[in-house]
Amino acid sequence: MCAFHVVKTMYIIIFSWEYPPRVVGQLANYVREVAVHLTKNNIKTTVVTYHDFLTGEYEETEGIKVYRVTNPVHTHIGVLTWVLTLNQEVERAAANIYYNLHKQVDLIDVHDWHFIPAAVTLKKALNLPFIFSVESLEEHRSHGADLPFNMAIKSLEWLGMYEAAKLIVKSEWMRDEVFRLYKVPLEKIKVIPPKSPNWFRNILETYKSVAGGEAPND
Amino acid sequence: MTKELTVMMLTWEFPPRIIGGISPHVYYLSRNLAKNGVKVYVVTCDFPGAPQYEVVDGVEVFRVDSYKNPSPDFASWVYLMNVNMQKEAAALINGLGGNVDIFHAHDWLVANAGIGLKHVFRKPLLTTIHSTEIGRRNGIHFDYERMIHETEAWLTYEAWRVICCSDYMVSHVKWAFGLPADKLVMIPNGVDAEVYTRIEQENLSSFRSKFALPEEKIVLFVGRLVYEKGVHVLVNAVPKVLEKVNAKFIIVGNGYMKEQLSNIVKNMGLARKVHFTGFVDDETLRKLQKCADVSVVPSLFEPFGIVAIEAMAAKSPVVVSDTGGLSEIVEHEVTGIKVYPNNPDSLAWGIAKVLLDENYANLIKANAYKKVQEKYNWNKIAQQTKANYETVLSEYSKSVWA
Repeated sequence: MCAFHVVKTMYIIIFSWEYPPRVVGQLANYVREVAVHLTKNNIKTTVVTYHDFLTGEYEETEGIKVYRVTNPVHTHIGVLTWVLTLNQEVERAAANIYYNLHKQVDLIDVHDWHFIPAAVTLKKALNLPFIFSVESLEEHRSHGADLPFNMAIKSLEWLGMYEAAKLIVKSEWMRDEVFRLYKVPLEKIKVIPPKSPNWFRNILETYKSVAGGEAPND
Repeated sequence: MTKELTVMMLTWEFPPRIIGGISPHVYYLSRNLAKNGVKVYVVTCDFPGAPQYEVVDGVEVFRVDSYKNPSPDFASWVYLMNVNMQKEAAALINGLGGNVDIFHAHDWLVANAGIGLKHVFRKPLLTTIHSTEIGRRNGIHFDYERMIHETEAWLTYEAWRVICCSDYMVSHVKWAFGLPADKLVMIPNGVDAEVYTRIEQENLSSFRSKFALPEEKIVLFVGRLVYEKGVHVLVNAVPKVLEKVNAKFIIVGNGYMKEQLSNIVKNMGLARKVHFTGFVDDETLRKLQKCADVSVVPSLFEPFGIVAIEAMAAKSPVVVSDTGGLSEIVEHEVTGIKVYPNNPDSLAWGIAKVLLDENYANLIKANAYKKVQEKYNWNKIAQQTKANYETVLSEYSKSVWA
């Protein structure tokens, strides 16, 4: 390999429906940790997340840019319709980031199903690839329920897995479940347990393989 | 601008998928825009037997798989359909090198797709608001309705211009969503009068005899059999009309009130005077409109009232309730008769007046036909729409997005 290769700066957008200070489950702090590590490694990172009253807040902490959007439609009949209208604001924020960065965004990392629709449109419109990071699946959250409501969420999970460039899962068990439930080719799934040695290095390698950029040395 | 103006229409219905008035509206608007040198792409929902892609009268039509995702209810289906619609539209525009100047979304049913495409491609969005939830339901009573109402508000907020088809709808939409007056534009709905002139040559008497006796006058109602269309007012007016003139009432359309209404008619002993046809095909409908001695539009809420201008184009005299868009379409005792809404006595008076005075009926239908050709002409409507696109684009060219 050439010893003088140019290290290109990577630009990443992360989608997560929870991010500190909004902590619903384990995902918020995990996403923050990924973002902190990315920033430390000189990867430009912007998080797009939801917050009902820090809306419009643009925050830069620990070098991470955080955009918080709220739902343009306040009244909802359930989490499904709530998510689907909120997606448009996530999509709008991401499009603004993309244009403000002169289209320099390399990829989007989408945590769980919520903002898959926005990521899919951005991919189709702007050729922005995305990674689907799976925290949990509807099959397990709803204990196998198959009402139209659950099936709608599963259909969005399927869409995300089909359209994603890569999947990151947090255990071998989850990889097998993703394969069992959605028939995703195994070579598309990366198993990266959060506390494992080199977990961040492995995430970076996965990003690199999708964006085609170079991961910086540490 | 050197290159041709390109617009992408987003609509949940386009022929052969016909649910309400949006489908023919977008069809006629699109083909007449194409005739006026506008490149039109239509992205719409699929329909059994209709191709995924086709060119109809110079308009490129793309149909999206709209039943891909299981849905617990209609609104969720709408939002999920929008995921697929904007995904497919985004891929299409990307394939065209981003070459679309304007997005034009019809009603809240495609709000998400229109808003999403506006932001990812940074092109202006126009919307036509054909109807509102607050108008359809006569108020907002449940969360489900409020969600739709807020989605409509959001769409009008995101749109560069909001087009309404009547002055009534302009003021209604302005009130419902608190919009500034300069954001609203009135461009009427149109009717294709040619489809009725084509029928003129044929002999309609054998067709007519399938529906009414020669001595019976035909009173025609066309519309969904739902409360807001006021068909129950017509049913209550039936005995009052029959006191004065021998007539047959033909009620075309389906809806949740159908069974209830036909029971009422049976109990009044008038089953042989009132015929419920259900949904009929276009050809039958047009022939019925041509045969009708009077066409009745007794709506309680009517954003526009396309069925009234269809009747006027078919040269059938109209009796309408004095409400919404109907008030503007009809000039009382000149192009039709206006009656008090939700008032069977007033409606019966209007129907009888037309049926009992042939000279009077001939006069108003001649005036009405002239009015249709002057004002509700699709070619003129397309030109007005194109002029609005051009205005928006010149404003857009001075914006930070350009």
